[in-house]
Amino acid sequence: MNCTRRNFLIGGSTTLFLSGYFPKISFASMQKKNLIIISLRGGMDGLTAVPVIGDKRLKKLRKKLILEDVLNLNSDFGLHPKLEIFHKLWQKNQAAFVHATNIPYTGRSHFDGQNLMETGAHIPYKEKTGWLGRGLLASNIIGKGLAISLPMPLLLRGVPQNNNFFPSPDFVETKLIDQIYNEFKGEHNELIKSTLDTIRQRPLSMQIATDSDDRKKLALEAAKQLKDQSGPRVAVFDLDGFDTHAAQGGVDGAHADELEEVNKIVTILHENLGQAFDNTLILTLTEFGRTIKQNGGYGTEHGYGSAILMAGGLLKKSQVYTDWPGLKKKELFEGRDLNSTVDSRAVYNSAMSICFNQDPEFLRKEVFWGDELPDLSQELFKI
Amino acid sequence: MSLNFYRRVAFGLSPNEKPDKDPLNWAINQLDTIPDLLWPGTIPTEKDLRKKYGEWVYGDREVLRKKFKNDKHAYRKAKNELRIKTGERYFELNEHAIRHFQTKYSKQPVFERFWLFWGNHFAISEKDFLAEFSTGPYQREIIRPNMVKTFEEMVQSVTTSWCMIHHLDNSESFGPNSKKGMEWGETINENHARELLELHTVSPNAGYTQEDVIQLAYIMTGWAHKWDRKNLETGDIWFDQEMHQKGDKIVLGVKYKNDAKRELAKVIHDLATHPICIKFVSTKLCRHFITDEPTEEMIDPVIEAWNKSNGSLIEIHKAVITQAYKYNEITHKFHPPEIWLMQLSRMFDLNIPLSFEKMNYTFKSKPNNRQRQLSWILREIGHSPYRAKQPNGWSDLEVDWVSPELLLRRFWFASVELPMLVKSGNRSHGFILSCLKNNFEDHKNMASLIDNFRFGTSDYDLGQKYGVICNLPGVLKI
Repeated sequence: MNCTRRNFLIGGSTTLFLSGYFPKISFASMQKKNLIIISLRGGMDGLTAVPVIGDKRLKKLRKKLILEDVLNLNSDFGLHPKLEIFHKLWQKNQAAFVHATNIPYTGRSHFDGQNLMETGAHIPYKEKTGWLGRGLLASNIIGKGLAISLPMPLLLRGVPQNNNFFPSPDFVETKLIDQIYNEFKGEHNELIKSTLDTIRQRPLSMQIATDSDDRKKLALEAAKQLKDQSGPRVAVFDLDGFDTHAAQGGVDGAHADELEEVNKIVTILHENLGQAFDNTLILTLTEFGRTIKQNGGYGTEHGYGSAILMAGGLLKKSQVYTDWPGLKKKELFEGRDLNSTVDSRAVYNSAMSICFNQDPEFLRKEVFWGDELPDLSQELFKI
Repeated sequence: MSLNFYRRVAFGLSPNEKPDKDPLNWAINQLDTIPDLLWPGTIPTEKDLRKKYGEWVYGDREVLRKKFKNDKHAYRKAKNELRIKTGERYFELNEHAIRHFQTKYSKQPVFERFWLFWGNHFAISEKDFLAEFSTGPYQREIIRPNMVKTFEEMVQSVTTSWCMIHHLDNSESFGPNSKKGMEWGETINENHARELLELHTVSPNAGYTQEDVIQLAYIMTGWAHKWDRKNLETGDIWFDQEMHQKGDKIVLGVKYKNDAKRELAKVIHDLATHPICIKFVSTKLCRHFITDEPTEEMIDPVIEAWNKSNGSLIEIHKAVITQAYKYNEITHKFHPPEIWLMQLSRMFDLNIPLSFEKMNYTFKSKPNNRQRQLSWILREIGHSPYRAKQPNGWSDLEVDWVSPELLLRRFWFASVELPMLVKSGNRSHGFILSCLKNNFEDHKNMASLIDNFRFGTSDYDLGQKYGVICNLPGVLKI
């Protein structure tokens, strides 16, 4: 029989339990591992975030979008100066990038693309659950998802009892909830009642009103929750505004403003997760990249290949992981976009396998219908 | 019959309405005619708003983006000015007012509930600037007039409406063997064809294949907006023969002979009268009005009425109401946030929407806070009606509406915002009690829960009372 990682872990811990012996070394593997996904809606430009400095064609095609003061990663790739925290973490082997990657979708529609980045499927609107929700369910991790948004994102659907945090503009008195709680009786009220339970069990910090437009506060609260050993294991942030058809600019352009938001969230998570950051993976998700060439409005159009920004202590090392397709006209997708050589779902599948202590083969079948997704855990993450 | 029937099929009873002796008849008699829109303020036409849409996208895309290539600050400023000038920030607010005015004051509230249902069945999800300019008038001018016709006629109108064609990209769908398809090397966009099958008519239950989707997309090629340099994508819908795929097509085993623009009406006829379509849509209607998982027993009479009347929506609606009445006492239904808000507004005569005089807009500065209030509330309770995330619209299932934050938003609205919407003459405890009595059998029990605050009329006191009342199991749910 094939001894999969999953079998090994289950077998291993049972033996340890029976023998009543917990060696210190196993403590790390018992630590809760967090997976944080930041959705970047609108089409994040991988070539603005992680420009290929080793290829002069990029500058030629983007004369008005030139990036000054690019942070150095290696001889081929630089980093947008607004992504400071990633540069800082890069020095400590806690930031990495997957480049020339995308979901297998080439249609260039935001709506179809965003649907597919969340469902992980091939046909828009066909699946009604998200890959992250299915991954949690397959791993039997229930009630551990936290969405930092008002509606439950499609990405997390498919597993019950998720929590979400996006406080109302004003305070809701707990006594109000307590007062009506007992009125919910009978089987047909169970769902509401159990949701009220979730609300009532919230820590005080989640009961306060805040400005939900203030992403700093939301990220701070998410960090607090994720840090808690019994708290959520998965968090989903939602950012939009990456669709920069005009005035995309360079260091201070419209795309830079959005990257700054990502930087802000990751900075707060890093500062406030403390030691838990070592057991955390943060990954970005987008529907597509943008055209290589600037358009008439000094912006870019919808493209194909993009990049995944990654941070966290569960990364193997600082690296730009890529099978670089090149920027020559014939190397571009349909002659205009950076190609995608890595199915980004392989990265997410591998990340789930690390954070949920699950066999990637098993997840690939349960979550992605057995699609050909190579296991990248060895290359990208600490096993 | 429980009073909750008035909330099951409508929005509850306002303080000046009394329960009818025959609630079933009361409901059924509301479905034969289309009630007038009551909003005394501006009700712009779809065509006018499409023109505004054109001015906005043309101004932004063709003028401002080029003018402010290098200056994001100047670009943003100019764009905001254009937003104000074209009403980009205003028209959606006005549409919400028209809609809520209708559900609050209509003498045919049951009809209005079906209006909301069909607007959501043929949903326009958030895309480009449809919510800002087009979804409201689409629901008024395409959905509403068809509600006294047949389902097939409704599908025909919806499928060739500018709003749906833009929403599902049919203008970008070229027959690969058509004149333009060959010249420009373009091919089909399957989006609209797929949703016409999956969401609007037969549903995946019909077992159609990818080839069926492609063949239907071929039939639909050519139905597109007229494009010109000034109106861009906001021109009228026409049939462009030069985009249309030539040759016969086969969908779900039926052959459609090469017949240009007439192919579409034929295939829609077959889809809209397909037994699986009838079952799918009947089930959806029962799910909306009766319970999340309706049984065949509940659905069958609706299917029967459909077949007997050849798809007359009036007869179908009457059958749904009859079933809702029959099962009223033994089923439960959770109401999504917007319907809940509409019910509170009608039952407690809340001060929304804003008066039409105050909604008046000058196109000189951005809409004020009062003008934005209703739309802001809808967004904050998680149900901004024209902004569903996907073409399948808003869910009818309780499980999709019960998340911690979405429930908390209802507590927040009822305890914090609602008191500010109580009219000055309605602040007494007696007023609340009379509204409860008008709408709930167990009004005495409800009253006992807020008895501690019976002397209070401050915003805080009202918040304590409405916070409890509006979130009781029998109010969130019937």
